[in-house]
Amino acid sequence: MATVPLDYDVLLLAPLALIIGVTALWLLELIFIDLDKRMLGKLRHKHEALARFTNFTGVLFQALSHALGYTVTHSGVAHFQVSVHYGKVEPKREKQGVFAWTSTLLLYLGPFLVPTGFMLLYSYFVLTKGFSFPASVQYTFVHTFENFGGTLSTFTQSMFRFLSSMDLLNPVHVFFLLVLLFLGLGIRPSYIGEERKEKVNFLYDLKNVTMHFIKKPLYILVFFAVVYGFFFLSLALKTNWYVALFSVLGLLSVIGIIALLLAFLLLAFVWASDKIAPGWRLVPFLTLPISYGAVRVLFFYVPRDNILGWSLLVMILATVVVTLLLIKYKKTNRFKTAGPMKHMRVADGKKRASQK
Amino acid sequence: MEKKELLKNEQVERLLSPHPLSFMKLQALCIFVIVWGIVVWWLVNSSQFGNWLSGNPWFPFILWALVLLIFGVIASLIAIQWSIFFLYLMVVLGGLGLLFWQHWENNSTSFIALFILVYSIIVSIAGFLIVELYRRSHKYYITNLRIMFKGGVLTKRERTIRYDKISDINSRQGIFGQIFGFGTIIPISESGFGLGSDKSMAGGGVEVGGTKARLFGFAGGGKEVQTPIARSYYELHGVYPFKDVQKLVENMVQSHVPTQYQKEQVEFSKQQVDIQTQMRDLLHQQGRGKPRTKTVKQKPEEDEQEEEPEKEEEAFPQEQVDIQKQMQQLLKKQRVMKPTKDETEEEEEAEEEEEEEKKKDEREVA
Repeated sequence: MATVPLDYDVLLLAPLALIIGVTALWLLELIFIDLDKRMLGKLRHKHEALARFTNFTGVLFQALSHALGYTVTHSGVAHFQVSVHYGKVEPKREKQGVFAWTSTLLLYLGPFLVPTGFMLLYSYFVLTKGFSFPASVQYTFVHTFENFGGTLSTFTQSMFRFLSSMDLLNPVHVFFLLVLLFLGLGIRPSYIGEERKEKVNFLYDLKNVTMHFIKKPLYILVFFAVVYGFFFLSLALKTNWYVALFSVLGLLSVIGIIALLLAFLLLAFVWASDKIAPGWRLVPFLTLPISYGAVRVLFFYVPRDNILGWSLLVMILATVVVTLLLIKYKKTNRFKTAGPMKHMRVADGKKRASQK
Repeated sequence: MEKKELLKNEQVERLLSPHPLSFMKLQALCIFVIVWGIVVWWLVNSSQFGNWLSGNPWFPFILWALVLLIFGVIASLIAIQWSIFFLYLMVVLGGLGLLFWQHWENNSTSFIALFILVYSIIVSIAGFLIVELYRRSHKYYITNLRIMFKGGVLTKRERTIRYDKISDINSRQGIFGQIFGFGTIIPISESGFGLGSDKSMAGGGVEVGGTKARLFGFAGGGKEVQTPIARSYYELHGVYPFKDVQKLVENMVQSHVPTQYQKEQVEFSKQQVDIQTQMRDLLHQQGRGKPRTKTVKQKPEEDEQEEEPEKEEEAFPQEQVDIQKQMQQLLKKQRVMKPTKDETEEEEEAEEEEEEEKKKDEREVA
């Protein structure tokens, strides 16, 4: 193990490296969430059930995080309710100070950490070579960052390798994909309030978290003290605990980003299929399983290398081509308005129905 | 629904049938068969357990049948419906029968696994079709007078409930219902139709010892909870759009149930009629010496009070005193009775109008 020169880089900058890294990944995750929500906003008027489902998953993750916050702080959960439109979690005992602060922080950050935490556990069993933490660490800003990036890079490569060679006839793989999509549709910032808010974007969440920290500056100091303390402990014991801990937080963000990306692709697929005439709209959705099944049967009789990857590729290509062709030749010819015509008002102020 | 089935002045407000996803519990049974068939096929052909299962051609079938039956028992216990178990038993026996009938029992393990996969898919598709037929047999008519529930694939079932006989309305909407906008409404009648009970029992036994000494213990417990429950033919099962239908039914019930004000009015009228009848009986007694049994058309009360006792005084001086006393008591009782606020206000308004008219007349005369 290399000797550790104690200069300002090690003592001051190195612990900051991973805080910056994790925060950057979390910001990236917020941007992806906003992209998903924008796409969902386009679909909402035609796919109300899908919008309600994503809302439900979001509320479920938020309520679980809220309940976890109350459990961790020993406040207890007196009431737990989740519905499509709202969730409600009430503590048994209202606590103040650091307990209340911690439970609120878990409410704001929980939806990004708790569901992805379960997914990380699942991926540990599916991705056999995705988890590698560097054994030796040089405790400088750059090296700490390198180790952090290396861990994330290994995991991401492993994850994409798995996704690109997934066996869709394997129930474990299919379930993994479904859970990942479920996660991608549900990760979103928390919102708690009596009034119904139509849009909770990433700026709203940033503002919430910032205000939460600014309100209690002492806690920020405590947070940094704990982080630096943990770093120096790792340094003293010459272990990589500090990097490992922040790498896990980074992995959670990476899982979240991949899940959001997949959810975005799904939403984009639904959005594209909406452009096709109603009679043909199901064809792209049927192309997915039929093309995959056909290619797997073909490769069963004509064996070759990397059958799973080729099958997925053919399935995706076939679906994209079929969708594009249908959009070109079977485009829906319905006249569309931004809102229902019967609710449109004319200049004289009288409500009139659309003429047939 | 034919027109002749409608009552006089009856109009159908809404015709409903269950949402396609409202029978998800039944559809889930079919989904499980298909998923488990795929899993068994995958276990034999592509998983690391393939070698173990290839030991005997019957292993995949035994595994498939066992899990299916165990799931059937668990589902039956949860749903308190043993037909689920027997349904799965029929699926297993059907598969077994087909294997022997076609002499496929001596084939390889992979063939048996493929047979299980194809058989599961066919059985599931058949199951989905039966569930869809069952769903389509339900029809609910919400008219302006009653709710009619009709259905039945082979046996026709029908229930009718009038709005004034509905004592309670129970509504429920699961997560699927909330997402897709459907839900179930159970109108509970005064007779208790629509109420059921959830029962749960647990029991266990243990036997210790061999042939000489045995110890046997049994522990059990039961709980019964009264809950709104009805068969899908006798409730508005999985109706869409739930909120609108719920509001419609609530409004209909509300419009057919007498309010507190109406009840008070009816009670007051009854008391008035009772007193008037008694007074007429007394008047008749005065006139002829025996009470009248028939109801007499009402006359202004004040005239009766003023005129008739005077006549009776002349004819029956001794009896007249008693009758007059009784009549006075009735009049007092009538005065003590308070009409509801609205009626008092109306009377006050009428009095004020009369006073104003009198004043006008006086001015005109002056």
